[in-house]
Formats: sequence, C-alpha cells, structure tokens
Amino acid sequence: MNAAPLHPFAWIAWLAAVCAVLSATRNPLHLGLALLCVLLVTITRGLRPGVLRLAIGITLVAAFFNLILARVGATVLWRIPGSWPLLSGPLTLESLVYGALTGLALAGIFTAFGAAQGAVPTRALLDLLPPAFAPLAITLTIAVAFVPATLRQLRQVREAQLIRGHTIRGLRDWSALLIPLLIGGLDRALQMAEALAARGFPDQAASRRSPAILIAIGLALLAAGLLINAWGTSLLGWALTLLGLGIIGLAIWLAGRNTPRTRYRRLPWTHSDTLVAIAALVAGIAFVVPFALPDRAVLAFSPYPQLAFPLFSPIHGIATLGLSGPGVVLLLASGE
Amino acid sequence: MMITFDHITYQYPGADHPALRDVTLGLPDGCFALVVGSSGSGKSTLLRCIGGLVPHFSGGTLSGTIRVHGLDPISEGPGGMSRYVGFVFQDPETQAVMERVEDEIAFGLEQAGLPRDQMRVRVEEVLDLLDLAPLRDRVLETLSGGERQRVTIAAALALRPRVLVLDEPTSQLDPQSAEDVLRALVRLNEDLGLTIILAEHRLERVLPFADLLVYLDAKQPGALAGPPIDLARQLPLRSPLVQIAEALGWHPTPLTIKAGLVFSRTIVQPPAPQILASPPQIPESEPFLELRGAYAAYGSSVVLRDISLAVRPGEIVALLGRSGVGKSTLLKTLVGLIRLQRGRAFVAGQDTAGRDIAAICRQVAYLPQDPNALLFAETVRDELLITLRNHGLTHTNAMHGVSPDTLLERLGLLDKATAYPRDLSAGERQRVALGAVTVTRPGALLLDEPTRGLDYLAKHALADLLRGWQAEGAAMIIVTHDVEFAATIASRAMLLARGEIIADGPIGHVLGTSPLFAPQTARLFPGTGWLTPDDAIQALRKAT
Repeated sequence: MNAAPLHPFAWIAWLAAVCAVLSATRNPLHLGLALLCVLLVTITRGLRPGVLRLAIGITLVAAFFNLILARVGATVLWRIPGSWPLLSGPLTLESLVYGALTGLALAGIFTAFGAAQGAVPTRALLDLLPPAFAPLAITLTIAVAFVPATLRQLRQVREAQLIRGHTIRGLRDWSALLIPLLIGGLDRALQMAEALAARGFPDQAASRRSPAILIAIGLALLAAGLLINAWGTSLLGWALTLLGLGIIGLAIWLAGRNTPRTRYRRLPWTHSDTLVAIAALVAGIAFVVPFALPDRAVLAFSPYPQLAFPLFSPIHGIATLGLSGPGVVLLLASGE
Repeated sequence: MMITFDHITYQYPGADHPALRDVTLGLPDGCFALVVGSSGSGKSTLLRCIGGLVPHFSGGTLSGTIRVHGLDPISEGPGGMSRYVGFVFQDPETQAVMERVEDEIAFGLEQAGLPRDQMRVRVEEVLDLLDLAPLRDRVLETLSGGERQRVTIAAALALRPRVLVLDEPTSQLDPQSAEDVLRALVRLNEDLGLTIILAEHRLERVLPFADLLVYLDAKQPGALAGPPIDLARQLPLRSPLVQIAEALGWHPTPLTIKAGLVFSRTIVQPPAPQILASPPQIPESEPFLELRGAYAAYGSSVVLRDISLAVRPGEIVALLGRSGVGKSTLLKTLVGLIRLQRGRAFVAGQDTAGRDIAAICRQVAYLPQDPNALLFAETVRDELLITLRNHGLTHTNAMHGVSPDTLLERLGLLDKATAYPRDLSAGERQRVALGAVTVTRPGALLLDEPTRGLDYLAKHALADLLRGWQAEGAAMIIVTHDVEFAATIASRAMLLARGEIIADGPIGHVLGTSPLFAPQTARLFPGTGWLTPDDAIQALRKAT
C-alpha cells in the first residue's frame, strides 16, 4: 500500500493519542476497544505478520514476568514450592491478567508506531523541522539511509571473513569484522560528502550568515536563569530563562530566514487531516485530562485483589473510537 | 574554450609525487571528452578540479590556472561551481540522499532555493530527457544499477549545468545498463549541446561516442588531447577494435563497429567457424565443482532455479548475465554461504551439505566483489598468515613446502609485503585479497567481478595470474560483466537469466552469437568464432 494521504502532523497527533489512551487505562474493555482501533489502522496500512508476531510476543513476555514476579491476588493458580527468593510463592490469576493487560498496552503502542512509520517517510517527518534545521534534517536523512547500507556491508564483511575461516573466539577476533566495517563506512561517508559538496550542500554562505552570536547570548542567559532558579526560584531567574529562550527562538527564526532552501513537495493539510487530528485530540483529552468526562474511575481498572468483570464507560468508549480516524480515512480513500 | 587548464600541477596531502603535473588543456564548449589513463594517472583528480572539489574537498597544493565557463573553481569552490558543473561519481548508491526518484532529482534544486513552480518544470524536464518518467515514484533501492545511475545524472542535470562531469559512471553496470547510460549521455550532448567530460577504463564502451580524447600518463607530465580518430592509435591503452585496426593497417582508424565492418567485410574471406579462444582443451576428468538441480532463494524470492553445472580441473568458466539474475548467489551456494533450497552441491566430489564453510573454503577460494571486505591486517604478508592461522595451518603444511612469500612473489607483491594493504592501488589490493583466499592452495577459484575498477595493465596481470593457476589444474568460475576479459581468459561461458542457465558451451559459441555479450572482435568478424584481437590477427596473418 502506498503512503497514506494524511499529513505527518495528523499521524503525530494520532500516535500521541494512542500513547495517551493506552497508558491511561488497564480496563480490558476500553483497552480492547483502543486496540481494535489500532488494529484497524494497521490493517488498512497493510498488516505485516512480523509486527503481529512481535506484539503477541510482547504480551506473552509481560504476562509471564508479572505472573512470576507479582505475588498479589486472591486466585492462586499454582504455588512454586521452596524458599527461593523471588521465585517461590503463589502464582495468581490477577497478576497474570494485569501483566497481560500491560503487555497489550505496550504491544498496541508498538503496533501503532509500526503503522505510522510506514505511512510517513522519514523525509516528510524531517521536513517538519524549522528551516533553520534544514542541514540537520538532511544529515539525519543520510544517517537513516546509512543504517541499511551499513547492515549490508556488515553482512558482506562477515561473509568475507567466513570464507577465510575466521571465527570469533576472543575480543581481538572482532577486529576482522570491525576494521573493514569502519573503514568501509568512512569511505562511503567521504564519497557521500564529496557528492553532496558537488551538489552545493551545505550552502556555506547561509552558514556564515547564521546568527551564532545570538544563540550564544541566548544560551548564556538561559544557563544563568536556570542557575539562579536552582538556588531558589526568583523572578530574576524566570526572567533570564524566558529571555534566553526568546533569544534562542529569535536566532532560529533568523537562521531559517537566511536559509535559501525551498521544498519540492508540499504537504497539504486536508479535511481528513483535521478530522483525524480532532478525533485523536478528543480521545487523548478524554483519557488524560482529569474531570474532562464523567466516569473516569472506570478507566482505573485493577484486577487486584480479586479479578472482577470490568465496568464500561460509554462516553469514554465513544471517545476511544476517535483512534480509528486514520483507518476510516484510509478505507474511504481506498474505496474511491 | 569552455574549460581551460593552464600549467596545472596538483599534489594530494601526504603524497610523494603530484597527481597532475603541468597539465595544459582546452576543452571546447559542447564537446564529449573521454579522459583515459592507467590507474593513478590523475583522471579523477582532473575531473575534480573542474568541479572545485580539488583542492577544496581534498586539500593539497595546486598551482596553475583553471577556468570553467570563465569561472575559477578554486575561488568559487564546489558550492559555487555546482550551478555550472554537474558531477556524477562511480557508485550511484553513495550519491543518493532521498528515498524516491522525484525527491532525489529535486534535492539539488531545494538546496539552491528555487521556487517550487520552477522546480516542478525542471524535474519534469529531466525525467523526460532521461526516460525516467515511469520510474518517478519508485523507491531508489528497487531500481537497477543503470536506472539508478540515470537518476544520478538527472539529479545533476536538474540544476541545468553547462558541463556534466562523470567519473567511471558505467564501471559497475552490466553491458546493457552501461549502453543505456551512454546513449542517454550522447542524446544530452547532441540534442542539448551539453559539454560532457567522462573518465573510463573500458575504452571499447565509450570511444565510439567521444569526439575528444584526453590521455593522462602517470609517468609523463602534461596531457595529450585530440580527436579520437587521430589519437587512439598513439596511446598505450587501446580498445580491441583499435588494436585490430592498427595490426591490419586500417585507415582512418575505425572507432565504431559499423566503421570497422567496412574494413573487415572487404578483407575477410569468411573462414570456417573455429574457436581460437586461447585456453587449452580441458581433459575429461571428474568435476571439481558441481551443482545438481540447485534452487536457492532469499526469503520467498527464488533466485536460482534448477541449476546444474560441472566445472573440471583446469577449466575456466565465465558466468555472464544482467545484474540481479543470480550470478553472485550461484558462487555463494558453492561455498555454502547460501544454503540450497533444493538440489545438491559438490566440491572435489564431496557433498557440501552440512559442511563447515571454512572447510569448503580450504578447497575453494572465493573472491567477493569488494576485496576491501577481506582486508584488515597491518601488512600484506599478515593477510596471508591470518588466513592460514584461521584454518589451523602453518606455512609449510598449507603450501606443501611453499611459503606465503612465494605466493606474494607470484602475485607480484613481494616488494609490498610489509605495506599496509589499504594504501595500495585497486589492482594491488585485489591481488592481496586473492592471496588471502588462495593461500590454503585450493583446487578451485570463484571470482566475482574481478576486473571492476581495474585498468588494462592490471587486467592483463590478473589474466596472467589466472592462466598460471589454470595450468596447474585449478577450476575457475568468473562472474563478470567484462566480456572482453571473459573472452581473453575463459574456455567456456554460461549465460544466466532469471535464475536459470539459458546458454552453456564453448565461449566462442556462446559469446560469438550473443548480440548483447559479444566482444568487439566477435562483432567485427561475425561467424568466425574469433573473440580477441589476437585470435583475429593470428588467423588473418595465417590466411595471408
């Protein structure tokens, strides 16, 4: 499936909401509903079996460790005999359930990141940085591209050393892998740097125009403000901190104006983006902001001391559906 | 003149002699100049001077004057020159910044701060010029080598430079991809009047397209420049076509096969087809390397399908085919680096299934595409000793009484035994890597693109070395895009396509009849079975 027709900011809002909702509740009904929404988005993005396997693995590992380590709960499933520290004692249904719920929340967050990562190219995310950070954004783009190239090179070096009969027995034997990898990486970095220089990157004139003095002044004021506040909060401390931050912000804005770089791809903000962002915002606020909605106590489900059937808050349930926003948009887009 | 060099001398930092010595040269507007010379003659340095990369990027000392379109690259620097000079390097992978074709082309324009509307026009222009429009949304990693190199050229052209400089842009490409790239360059030169300066080792590929030849000699100061038709014969580096033209006294020197056919058709009484490929006949014996019904896959993607082959001692097999058809995979299956999905592999009559890779590699030396991946020791001699130590061998039991120094002497590296391997030239480094994998005295050699980046002299040295091992009974498989080298050294050729062997036989038959893989001599004398200039010249002299 191609990249989603959603703005990176909409994806970021959705991700933040997923993290907020899944962190805020262990109520199995609300957790399950949120996970269904994440699953819908993942499926519409093209579900990768590896992601699902890893999510199941996270859940099982969390459940297992909580079962072994938490000794709280009334329903004893089994008792490890003896007096081994940490191990001996009762294994309870409640600790197993709580571990599984925590694992599901973690797996949901992981799956959501997996879905968003495939939808938003690294480059689109880096384009969100202010213009002053354009060289940094390009450097990061190149660094990201270097990861698979380095892995490929590691495989080549490993194969090359295998055919020489190389085996790793001690620390010194790593040099056969590390030296060619390091030198090869440096060679590639130099070639890339030369190719970039030939394409006019970075714009040295722009670098010369960067307001480095302003940044230095801003940092000095910020440091002074923080230092004064460390001794005891004072108006002067806060004033210096805010002034420092303001000057740094001004320097970044000025640097951005000096950067001549333009953007080929425009990232249009559409109605779909607005809907996804608002739905995500509603879900996030409903679960995180105290007193935003009634029945908030329902979210704080705990299986301890004895497992009981959870309650369900319809109003939070409706808010949770906001997490399905990208999935709905993608489904509608594919229907067109 | 578009580009002038006036008494340019340049020395890299720490080098003991200048890379360019007193070069005075003029390259006219709109020319297609081919820069040739042996390794270390200063070709790449000359190109980098045009873009201001030398001395800005490399450091070092430079004297003399350079002018490019009236500008001084030394004072402008690479950033300033990037608007006038587009640069394309050897490896497309190390030049790409973005993930997708269109973004990669637009990258330079974004750096230059062009308004979006202008960017769109320029991106569309170059997509059309280089036939890349159907690939505009593709991820770069999914493109072939030739397509990626055309994207690199497009990215350079988007800034509308006056000059396009290319440093061995086809050295990593198969013949068809190289042809595609060169045709695109010719179109740019002829249709747009773009000045093209290109460095290349394989003259046979580029000479037909160039209208100016520049020769640099590492031992001589200055540079020799002139029309290829005049200069081609005077140079020590000659394409097979020029070698034949000189030997047979053809005037004016033909630079294209079409021009050569005018001569060859008049003088050749078509002889009975015969194979004059230099290697001797191989006696029937048990195969040293064998695959039977082999299948190999990467995940769910099948790369090799039902491959059966047998290579006997003393036989050299050239394995040819387009990039990505499974040639390297085939070599890796023989040494156990890739396990077979189905079928069996045998080395010296032993099934390799379940055998340790190191144990297989004591019997079969495998030289991967990038010899640098093998090298990590402090000295050349240590590289050989480390392999012996890895295999639990000593100097004497490994070499049957022959020391690693004897092997170094044979490799022409004894005087470099204490040198740091990575300080050596590409050809020397490759021979060090060969030494490191053959020091166990294996019965077979697998070579993956051994001539990549080598000049004619280094290729001759390699061919001599391989012939010596062949005479001692070594079986060899050479994966190569270099059909001229394959024609010189191999006795048998195999063509691979989509993971299957589609042709297998004496090299004269396989290459002589292939429109894509035929060497220049075979194209010049079709139906004769002659593959190298020596084959043709000897046969014609005998006939007269």
